[in-house]
Amino acid sequence: MNNRPSFEAHALRALDTARARGAAYAEIRFEEGRSERIEVRNGSVVSLSDSGSSGFGIRAMVDGAWGFAASDDASDGGLDLAAARAVEIAKAGAAGGRGMRTAVPTAAHVGSYETPVERDPATVPLGDRVAHLLAVERELHATPRISVGRAWIDLWRTDKLFFNTNGSKISQRLYQTGSGISALAVGDRDAQDRTFPGDVGLYQSGGWEIVEAARLADNAARIGEEADRLLDAPQCPAGEMDVILGGSQVSLQIHESCGHAAELDRIMGWEANFSGTSFLDPKLLGTLRYGSDKVSIVIDNLIPRGLATIAYDDEGTKSVRSDIVRDGLLVGFEMSRETAQAIGRESNACVRAQTWGHVPMIRMCNLNLLPGDVPFDALFDGIKEGVYMESNRSWSIDDHRLNFQFGCEIGWEIRNGKRGRLLKNPTYAGVTPQFWNSCDAVADERSWVAWGTPNCGKGEPMQTGRTAQCASPARFRKVRVGVGYDG
Amino acid sequence: MDKGAREALGRRILALAGTGEHEAVVTSGDDGLTRFAHNAIHQNVARSDASVQLRTIVDGRSGVAAGNAFDDAGLRDVVERAAALSALAPRDDVRLAKSPPASPSTSAFVASSASASPAERARDAGEIFGVVEGGGLWAAGYVRATRSGTTVANSLGTLASFDATECGVNVKANGDDSTGYAERYVNDFSLLAAREQAAIAAQKTLASCTPRAVEPGDWTVILEPPAFGEIVAYLTDHFSAQAYDEGSSFLSDGLGRTVTSTNFSLTDDWSNALAPGMPFDYEGTPKERVALIERGVAKAFVTDAYWARKLGRQNTGHALPAPNAAGPQVLDAVVSPGTKTTAQLIAETARGLLVSRLWYVRTVDQRRTIVTGMTRDGTFLIENGKIAGGVRNMRFNQSILAALGACEMSSERARTGGYSYSMVVPAAKFERFTFTSTTDF
Repeated sequence: MNNRPSFEAHALRALDTARARGAAYAEIRFEEGRSERIEVRNGSVVSLSDSGSSGFGIRAMVDGAWGFAASDDASDGGLDLAAARAVEIAKAGAAGGRGMRTAVPTAAHVGSYETPVERDPATVPLGDRVAHLLAVERELHATPRISVGRAWIDLWRTDKLFFNTNGSKISQRLYQTGSGISALAVGDRDAQDRTFPGDVGLYQSGGWEIVEAARLADNAARIGEEADRLLDAPQCPAGEMDVILGGSQVSLQIHESCGHAAELDRIMGWEANFSGTSFLDPKLLGTLRYGSDKVSIVIDNLIPRGLATIAYDDEGTKSVRSDIVRDGLLVGFEMSRETAQAIGRESNACVRAQTWGHVPMIRMCNLNLLPGDVPFDALFDGIKEGVYMESNRSWSIDDHRLNFQFGCEIGWEIRNGKRGRLLKNPTYAGVTPQFWNSCDAVADERSWVAWGTPNCGKGEPMQTGRTAQCASPARFRKVRVGVGYDG
Repeated sequence: MDKGAREALGRRILALAGTGEHEAVVTSGDDGLTRFAHNAIHQNVARSDASVQLRTIVDGRSGVAAGNAFDDAGLRDVVERAAALSALAPRDDVRLAKSPPASPSTSAFVASSASASPAERARDAGEIFGVVEGGGLWAAGYVRATRSGTTVANSLGTLASFDATECGVNVKANGDDSTGYAERYVNDFSLLAAREQAAIAAQKTLASCTPRAVEPGDWTVILEPPAFGEIVAYLTDHFSAQAYDEGSSFLSDGLGRTVTSTNFSLTDDWSNALAPGMPFDYEGTPKERVALIERGVAKAFVTDAYWARKLGRQNTGHALPAPNAAGPQVLDAVVSPGTKTTAQLIAETARGLLVSRLWYVRTVDQRRTIVTGMTRDGTFLIENGKIAGGVRNMRFNQSILAALGACEMSSERARTGGYSYSMVVPAAKFERFTFTSTTDF
């Protein structure tokens, strides 16, 4: 997208077409995405790919109803066709009073943003990247029982240009980077995985420095050894006990039991047929004790390295920081422009589309559990019997976001405040508000990490979102442990 | 983009790539979806896209690049990037082959469905609203019509093309304290029968109102096709040659063993009339019909060119698009029917549960095929062979193979699907299915 004036001319043409066809409001988003993936598996480079895709999506509003059309044809004819199609779709929705009615947006922003990058990945020769992964993957094969070693790097660059009929002109360039390793150990009718960092790798906004921060080489041998040792480890016990969750597992816990629950489109029933609804309700704002006073969760789409960090969302709203849970009390939701209007608030810029071809929708973006005030090691103090769990392996929660069950790759027994022997197949289960109210300590900022989730599914057609849940490890009391293996 | 245009594009990029081994995969799609909630349309979208992907192999080194700009400059860019990547890849046993033509698929593409309009989708949505409003309910769901095309061409002369239309209606009817679900997936938009699906969803909602709590534990359970499909979807990845070889599959303990009841047979069959699939894979190899489990005995796994060579097996034609770290995969699962109707299976159940749909099923233990998940949108108590009302939703933890150890399939089958699968399954009755917790709804 080097020729931005030309895109502006394209945009104005498409917006004019939409208006001429009857749209009261229209917006257009051009995107060019580039993704590179390298994956090494058992010494072979099984993925070495470089994909690009560019196109645009237009949203048009007619009589308060939306239509969205997207195309990869940015010629004059293609723009006119897509604009006309968006209006036609909006009219079809509005006809017969069957479309939802939304007020015409009035905001206009002019601005630009580029992800701060310490080292542009393009300056790292491809051969060096491949060699790095081959070397790291070799280290995973610490014992003969390691059947599969994997190491990968994802590099994503996205250019976005946004224009609307109110005069918005927004230009943004995002760099997002991820890398990780995993080892699969196979024994007698048993297979045990270990992944690092976290459960999908370390995914953040930024350049090659994110790969360096993952410290794959420093940890590969340990991860391979842990996978092997898990084959011989005792089964995690079942029962009610205290639990410490590692930072990446807390991140997933936030994602599933707070992030999705607080999406206002879901609360309003828009996702009812697929992703589900939510146990939350606008009436609960300011009254529901979501968690203990140790639990404060914020949307912060400007935080450095957050995977969803951006200056403007995909309907052109400027990013802000806003509270979702303050000292345990529910105070906010993740909102779009129109859902916020419906409850008398303003959008907190939580709208994203997967690509140019996808309609913008509410996403949890960067949803962070604020760090607590105790060092990580102090979380173990006072636990008589419990389990410390790391790296998610299994995750499931009901369609109201209440009843959940998660499993981790690895656990350690805790006895009298000390971390003890390794445990395999640790799982735990609970109900969202009760669980967060059982949180009595969150580790401090020294173990706080901007954990990214590169593969969040939502919507129909299904969209894969890139979100973050910055978190540090946390302690939960009297949790049901060992579910799924206790029968 | 039609078949002719895709094939021309494939030939163009292969010509630009020049000498050497190259494989082009050209895909195109037009997707229209109308989504609704509270008996009103809230999302109405259309998308047109096409892309070309090139795999270049030089002396066993392969690189893949893709793009969606089809002028000469755009295609040259893809060619150059694929060449640059292949030059840096380590050498592996990767080769192309010339594939024979695949059997033509005759029923996957319905020309009239390719042009289904937003107005037609809105009309169907309106019919759904009318039905559920009659019961004092509100609907959430979608009406979808898509057209897609795939062409695989390689420098050895392989050329295979496939076009399909896929249409779907998905209805969740919502009442004060209960919900119900129905779905239908077809290739012909005129066969969607949206009104009929709305009526089924509404009936389930009304029949499950004021749900009672039942105790978790071991239950006899009948899973309707959308629910059973979710379970089968967590079994199919075990049948990849890669999973078999690497030890993550239950098949790694050996083929030829009895793994389920004789009442269960699973096949990969692209030609099933209920869900006609692509007759070749993403390397252009014709797909074999593969019996995976036959009357309870584990018979085979699926392969692609790489894994067939590696394991000394026949290539069954189950390659995914390159680059593919997941190995060959089952994409057209078909479960054989039984002899009794679902109504008969219910009538023969003294006490059990009838489940319409599952949600958030995830693997707990891959080798032991233990999965967890929730019931949703219509869960019923069966007492003395009759539906005795709705029950609150529950969480299960269950080994799939253990459940299939004592099962019976219904005689009626349906096409069902999720965001990562499409398959043909009957309803399934399990003697023992373990629930571990309940909900308040």
